[in-house]
Amino acid sequence: MPTLSSMSEPDQGRWFEPLRAILDRSHLWTPDDVTRSVNAALAGLGMRVRIWLIDYEQVLLRALPEPGRETPEPVPIDGSLAGRAFSRVVSVPAGEDGRRRWWVPMVDGTDRLGVIEFATPADADGDERLVRNCEMITGLIGHLIATITQRGDALETARRSRPMSPASELLWRLLPPLTASTDRVVTSAVLEPSYEVGGDGFDYSIDDTTASLLILDAVGHGLRAGLACAVTLAAVRAARLAGGGLYEQARAADAALLEQFPDSRFATAVLAELDLGSGRLRYINAGHPAPLLLRGGRLVRELSAGRRMPLGLDDAAVEIAEETLEPEDRLLFYTDGVTEARARDGDRFGLSRLVDLVRQHEAAGLPAPETLRRLAHAVLDHQVGPPADDATLMLVQWSTPAALNTVPGAGTTTREDQDG
Amino acid sequence: MMDPFLTVTTTIVGERATVLSATGEIDGDSRKILGEAADAAIAAGQHRLVIDLTGVTFCDSGGLSLFVELHRRITALGGELRLAGLREMVATVVRATNLDRLLLLYPTVDEAVEASRHAG
Repeated sequence: MPTLSSMSEPDQGRWFEPLRAILDRSHLWTPDDVTRSVNAALAGLGMRVRIWLIDYEQVLLRALPEPGRETPEPVPIDGSLAGRAFSRVVSVPAGEDGRRRWWVPMVDGTDRLGVIEFATPADADGDERLVRNCEMITGLIGHLIATITQRGDALETARRSRPMSPASELLWRLLPPLTASTDRVVTSAVLEPSYEVGGDGFDYSIDDTTASLLILDAVGHGLRAGLACAVTLAAVRAARLAGGGLYEQARAADAALLEQFPDSRFATAVLAELDLGSGRLRYINAGHPAPLLLRGGRLVRELSAGRRMPLGLDDAAVEIAEETLEPEDRLLFYTDGVTEARARDGDRFGLSRLVDLVRQHEAAGLPAPETLRRLAHAVLDHQVGPPADDATLMLVQWSTPAALNTVPGAGTTTREDQDG
Repeated sequence: MMDPFLTVTTTIVGERATVLSATGEIDGDSRKILGEAADAAIAAGQHRLVIDLTGVTFCDSGGLSLFVELHRRITALGGELRLAGLREMVATVVRATNLDRLLLLYPTVDEAVEASRHAG
């Protein structure tokens, strides 16, 4: 963890004014104003920033336009220092022109938003102190950017490489952040194709004692599927927030779908609750691919119990299944668009490929969201042309080290590893 | 997917069963071809339907939801929907979604027709 002792050193106080200036100004920020006002606040320290946001497909970092400055070309995640900072959630130095540059990962909580590029004076504080302060500034900006995303369109358009379908537009506004972590657990998800998602969705709620989890796949494609997904998400959430358990959540979704979709639109889903103290997992599987229990990089088993018919089919007969996790276990939820993705020769992506990739990425020490980003791209790369179906993955790690691995500054800044 | 490849022929077998024989792939697009054939049979008062899936090589959730929809409509009319001759691929999809708890499945069309004859 970053050392708090550095905060007490006398010149640490000079970082206070920029923080206050950024926070004060942020109440009235427009997207155009973000970089400009941050740079005005940092001018006294002789520093400049450029803010880069991750695109929806998680391929390129795209610079947030700053009035009066040229907007640079997007930078790929794969093979760049900026991408390394993003993917590993770790600050990466890049010397240039006698000045020091740092790529600092920008998150909201632990949801990866992008990176901030800092240009700092060559004679600035020692690297370690400097980068901790850059991470502090970045932490504030990440939270503030997340709060103003819906104030104007420009932060959204800056993240998009192309227009989004109405179904995707609907869905992204409904979903929680892709990644969330607490001391005990990290949950992370990814959806493809990000600009044309149809009926896939996910949800989670983490409190002190329990992680509530949902993955779902509503029948069909396009906006009709998106609407069925939206109805399911809303019904499950409403039941959960009213204190309902897994059974009540599933029945609430049944009732809402039956009422709204007389043509038998249904949604397959897994609803689960993980007790964060004991590791006890309770789940219902409504006609969905069985979640995978992974331990030490290996598939322990598919969680194939607790079965009922898909949500929307008025199935009152259900037994809630139970499983006990061991510390460090991973749960992988997925929709059939993942395993069914077909290569030109008809070869399906399949389960063993999926498990093998998780094992590789785990061995490389990747944070959960980065494992999922790479899995999603492997699925896309496997198939020819546009995906035939939505592919969604959600990885849940009951692990404090895995949770810390998603926090900027929790490790060292120059962590060595085998791949970028 | 752009070119739905599904054909359906309707045969009335005796008094009490109408067989819709599907050949090809049933997905979110092509399902309307089977749906229209079923609509026509239902409109003609034929409420004991057998869908012959012997010639169906692929079925996705769009096809499954059509089966569920037809099951509901026909049941509400006092009739019955039966599915017959599912290939392994199609049977797997039905089982994976637990819809074998709802839909009436038969190994062959003959068995489905026979069951229709004795029903109700």
